[in-house]
Amino acid sequence: MTPVLSIQNYTLDYISSAGPVRVLHDISLEIGPGEVLGLVGESGSGKSSLAWALMRHLPENAREVAGSLRLGDIDLQRLSPGELTRIRGRRLGMVFQDPSTSLNPTLTIGRQITEALIQHRGLKQRDASSLAVNLLGHVDLNNPAAIMRRYPHEISGGEKQRVIIATAFGCRPDVILFDEPTTALDVITGARILALFARLRRETGVAALYISHDLALVTRVADRVAVLERGRLVEQAPAADIFRAPRHANTRALVDAVPRPERRLVHDKPGDQVVLAASDIEVRYGSGRLFRDAPPPATKKIGLEVRGGEILGLVGESGSGKSSMARALTGLARFSGKITFDAHEIHRMRDMNAAYRRDVQIIFQHPDASLNPRHRIDEILSRPLKLYGGHLANIPRLLEQVRLPASYANRWPHQLSGGEKQRIAIARAFAARPKLVICDEITAPLDVSVQAQIIELLLALREETGTAFLFITHDLNLIRQIAHRIAVMRRGEMVDLLPVEDFDADHVHPYTRELMAASPVPVG
Amino acid sequence: MTELFIRLMRKPQGFVGIVLLALIAAACLFGPALAPYAPEKIDFLGRFRAPGWQNWLGADQFGRDILSRLMVGARSTVPLAFIATFVGSAAGATIGVGSAYLGGRTDEAIMRTIDAVMAIPGLLMALLLVSTLGNGAGNAVIAIAVAFAPGMARVTRSAALNVRNQDYVKAAIARGEGAPWIIFREMLPNVMAPIVIESTIRVSFAVMLFATLSFLGVGAQPPASEWGLMVADARQHMHQAPWGLIAPSAAIALTAIAFNLVGDGLRDALNPKDER
Repeated sequence: MTPVLSIQNYTLDYISSAGPVRVLHDISLEIGPGEVLGLVGESGSGKSSLAWALMRHLPENAREVAGSLRLGDIDLQRLSPGELTRIRGRRLGMVFQDPSTSLNPTLTIGRQITEALIQHRGLKQRDASSLAVNLLGHVDLNNPAAIMRRYPHEISGGEKQRVIIATAFGCRPDVILFDEPTTALDVITGARILALFARLRRETGVAALYISHDLALVTRVADRVAVLERGRLVEQAPAADIFRAPRHANTRALVDAVPRPERRLVHDKPGDQVVLAASDIEVRYGSGRLFRDAPPPATKKIGLEVRGGEILGLVGESGSGKSSMARALTGLARFSGKITFDAHEIHRMRDMNAAYRRDVQIIFQHPDASLNPRHRIDEILSRPLKLYGGHLANIPRLLEQVRLPASYANRWPHQLSGGEKQRIAIARAFAARPKLVICDEITAPLDVSVQAQIIELLLALREETGTAFLFITHDLNLIRQIAHRIAVMRRGEMVDLLPVEDFDADHVHPYTRELMAASPVPVG
Repeated sequence: MTELFIRLMRKPQGFVGIVLLALIAAACLFGPALAPYAPEKIDFLGRFRAPGWQNWLGADQFGRDILSRLMVGARSTVPLAFIATFVGSAAGATIGVGSAYLGGRTDEAIMRTIDAVMAIPGLLMALLLVSTLGNGAGNAVIAIAVAFAPGMARVTRSAALNVRNQDYVKAAIARGEGAPWIIFREMLPNVMAPIVIESTIRVSFAVMLFATLSFLGVGAQPPASEWGLMVADARQHMHQAPWGLIAPSAAIALTAIAFNLVGDGLRDALNPKDER
């Protein structure tokens, strides 16, 4: 059987000021008709470069050193710009990572989808519109005719991704490239998108290259999995086998890094005294106007308490109010309610004194945004030391505490990788010797393997300092590994607050059960 | 500081800008000593003399040597324009970042006040201030600084609003940093690029505004060889002796270009991400 897409001995360099950097070494891959090939690797392993090479949209400084890229019997590297336009979308579709940026915000959904159909399938406007309505209905969007008239900002992230998938499938390409299509979505939405993908694939028999950093997820959607490490293809195996019997060390590391709820990482019991108790916390953004009611509160009278040395998990899909809780507890959002900390009562942002600010630290989701790009690492770390009384000579010790060399003190944030930046953010939080650290989705933008290292680091720091954690995440598998108790939030309400052992029990809230079902538990 | 300078000199635009600025600075410092003639030496035989070996850039309606007047005039033009722009930009940037940081009603109040001030044309504002404060170069500097500040505040605020939402600012608030630190150390360095660009462009506006004030009789007084005043004087004789107009205009343009180039270079050199 001839492959639909074949990559032979493909080698790619990027020319940088320091000379050529090899990003792909001698890659050979084939995708048969109707087959889904999963491509897994950490960030920087070259998986997206391969996708862009196939789409013939490489950056200026890319040099293709050797190899060939063939779509059926077409040599992709030889195509003229005009021929490329006919191939892209028509024979080779692509679905991007972030649905919020892959639709044009100034055009209606209908315009964007019919334009693709008219271009690639040569349909008349009227036929294209009716087909578009069909396609949108087929990806389980309610009231497709209404969606057609809306603008991208008027529909949710999950709906946008459905629109993009509908467009990609609607042009009936031979192969579709998926570049982390669910990474930017929350768990439940992501799970629904995957189910949709599986159904469409059964119906159309399209071949696909599915790129992701999440091995557990890829094994569920792909027939075969290829593992990429620093531009080299280290392993190729059927999806069912790769989890059970990984051959290469890198694959094994990826498999081990996947969080599994049954493998507990924390074994001690938390203390008895309550460190922080919050009750009736309500966060509101914006207030009512003359002709407009106030928007509903982001959190509705939430109460929780954290005990000494405890890890309390807070899970929920995006928009459930988890981050609003973190913002209220750290005085970043106006709230009503009461926080009791160390026998000190707080009713307003103004009540938070220096001692509270020191004892409750927050680590943010995006390490790129939480470190000031114009400050060197030593300046970033020196601020909490200066504010809360500490010695600047401690900076090397802080770096060592998060397993970074002391020489990093002189670097700029942009010279560090995402995981290293997150370590700096952790060091900054721990410089204050806090009693409670709030982690707001701190591992969400990181690779699975980096995530495992960060978790290990946090647990080691907890061992050393006895700090309690409020760990906000949407990854239920991860939080079940480390938390003592888990609170589940939905639409600003707390639906469950259970000890972690009770999660398999029957009395959990239906929503919690739905969340658990949506979290991909690794095959095998 | 030296590191910044080296990085600036490595950029072509930074290098050219610095060389031009060095020339202008030399004219400011040593102009009177180097000038071939005294700036006010009147030569009735040489009225409207075309550029040549006697007067390299020609002579004006009194036969005064234009090159000498330019070299002497640099001192009363460039430093003042620079100081006025610097003061205006610094004040505007502080107001803009501060307003973005405070947010809410305070921000609204500050920005509406700024809007009200901006509704008065810059020249009118400057005239008003100079006529209340009294004639003189120092007062003209203050007037121009005040006229520039609102525009800078607007530009800075829009950039600072983005920075305000970044997690590093939130982190600073959560750790209990004071407002001055957040405004000057966390936010301001991240909005430097638009400030530097905007203010280097405004240096040339400042030169022209000085010229206008002089032209209206409230800035430098004839026979001073301030560049703007020279343009204003030569305007009447444009058809007879275009060089009288062209030479000071070119000097103003060159100064503006020099500041712009240095501004471009500074913007890149100030960005730690730029490592080439």
